[in-house]
Amino acid sequence: MLIEFWGQEFKVNIIIGCIGAFLIAVLASMFGFGGGPFMVPLLTVALGLPMYLVVGSSLLAIFFNTLMGSARHYQFGNVDIDLFLIMFPAAIIAGFIAPQIARRVNPLWVKRVAVLGMTLLAFSLLGFY
Amino acid sequence: MTHRHLLAALLAMSIQCSGMAATDAVPQAAAAPPVAAATSQPAAAPVIPTVQADKLTLDNGGTIKVTGQAAPGKPVFLEFWSSKKGRTSFFDTKKDEKTGQVPYKLYKTEDLNVLYRIYLPKDRQEMLNKVKADGAGWSYSKALKETGADVAYKAPAKIAIEAFQTSLMASMYGSNGEQLPALDSQETKRRSMQLVKARFRSVDKLLIASVDVQPDGTYATEIKIPEGSPPAQYMIAAVTGSDERSEATVIENRIAFPVMYFENAGTSINIIWPFLLTLAVSTFGVLMGAGGGFILNPLLLTLWPIPHTIVAGTAMPTILFSQGSGIYNYNKIKFINWKLGITLGLAMLGGAFIGPKLTELVSLDQFKFVFGWVLIVLSALMFWQTMPGYLAKNKKEQAILNEFKRRAAEAATAKQAAQTQPAN
Repeated sequence: MLIEFWGQEFKVNIIIGCIGAFLIAVLASMFGFGGGPFMVPLLTVALGLPMYLVVGSSLLAIFFNTLMGSARHYQFGNVDIDLFLIMFPAAIIAGFIAPQIARRVNPLWVKRVAVLGMTLLAFSLLGFY
Repeated sequence: MTHRHLLAALLAMSIQCSGMAATDAVPQAAAAPPVAAATSQPAAAPVIPTVQADKLTLDNGGTIKVTGQAAPGKPVFLEFWSSKKGRTSFFDTKKDEKTGQVPYKLYKTEDLNVLYRIYLPKDRQEMLNKVKADGAGWSYSKALKETGADVAYKAPAKIAIEAFQTSLMASMYGSNGEQLPALDSQETKRRSMQLVKARFRSVDKLLIASVDVQPDGTYATEIKIPEGSPPAQYMIAAVTGSDERSEATVIENRIAFPVMYFENAGTSINIIWPFLLTLAVSTFGVLMGAGGGFILNPLLLTLWPIPHTIVAGTAMPTILFSQGSGIYNYNKIKFINWKLGITLGLAMLGGAFIGPKLTELVSLDQFKFVFGWVLIVLSALMFWQTMPGYLAKNKKEQAILNEFKRRAAEAATAKQAAQTQPAN
């Protein structure tokens, strides 16, 4: 498939992209997370697209996933409305606070802390401690 | 013989005197002594044990001291259950050893007590240890039978269970499968035990060998209603045999704002904590350039006894807003390729159709296992993003991105100028 972006043209293997996106969507909706951190490497590494094209477009793709995933979870009665109503405003407020903090911290260190934190969480989920 | 009768008579009298269970014990007590004393027939009237609690109300959980009197020499079991009921499902994928076929049957109920335990005499601890040695595959029905606690199993035995014949394919598109005819009472009891195990999972949560039974038949134990338990009535009944069951003592558990009971999640939580947790994790999520779901969901799962289906289902829609606003902002500077986004989005639509059903089909342990590996892969990806090679490439692309952004801004101002000019 030919992708045109700001006057540049990219040829991508959309079949691989779609299969990857499908699998990421299964996982993401199954565990209830966004999936962005998997979509970005898929599009940059497997499809060879530049980062500046990927950030916005992958967000659009993920939005479909979140919409459908939420609808299906709701259909199966897996949404606790009260808990949602408490968490949702917190998530919105976070969207306003984060950019303020972002100016003061080094993104590299945020990522390093995230790597450490997620590894610890993973070990705890896998029952290593 | 006469010894025993005398004892029975004394016991019956003591029941009458002990205030709590008096009302229901009266008919037995009134009838038993004369019969037992007058004729020397074997003691036909069962001796009904008594049960008393030191408190009748609790404020968001607590410990109740339970005492009572049973016939001497009998093991005393206490059945403990909540009036509050909830949903549970059990997916039977255990291969039938005779036919070699996997049943793929889904059992669902809306009726299972959200808290359910049986307390056993202290001397059954060793039997429980043996059951625990079976690991995650332990059998609740076997454990009940072996410890003798099956006489006390009553509250969940008659719950309404729906059974479905499903297949992996049917589950994929989200169908429960074909509904099977209603279960008979024996099958209901058997499946109810599997549902109880699916709901509470561990031996320790269901069977507790803590009842201290004295040779004279008095017994005592402590029952803990954990913090977070739903505001409801909790019942305790003492059982020493199949028709030797006391009337239930009722304990009322109350909660007060800001502690709130979450119906689907099945637990009460002080609402400040999930709010602060979401705020902190989402902020961090935005900073690291990923949604907070990766961190939020495992934490929700570890901090509170919320089922994994509810964790996934409730966290997912919370990111809708941030994604929506992200799309709006990127689109404003024309940084979304709609062709690519929609094509991939359609593929994701298909995946997201299947995923939530899979959440229901996996057990908590499987959920944790896969999630654990997903997190490891993600950490590796993120670690790679902190490597010098990646950073150099990213820096170059960031420069291009900024150049594009500048051009976009210029184009926008030019357009604005073009639009405003004719009006002047």
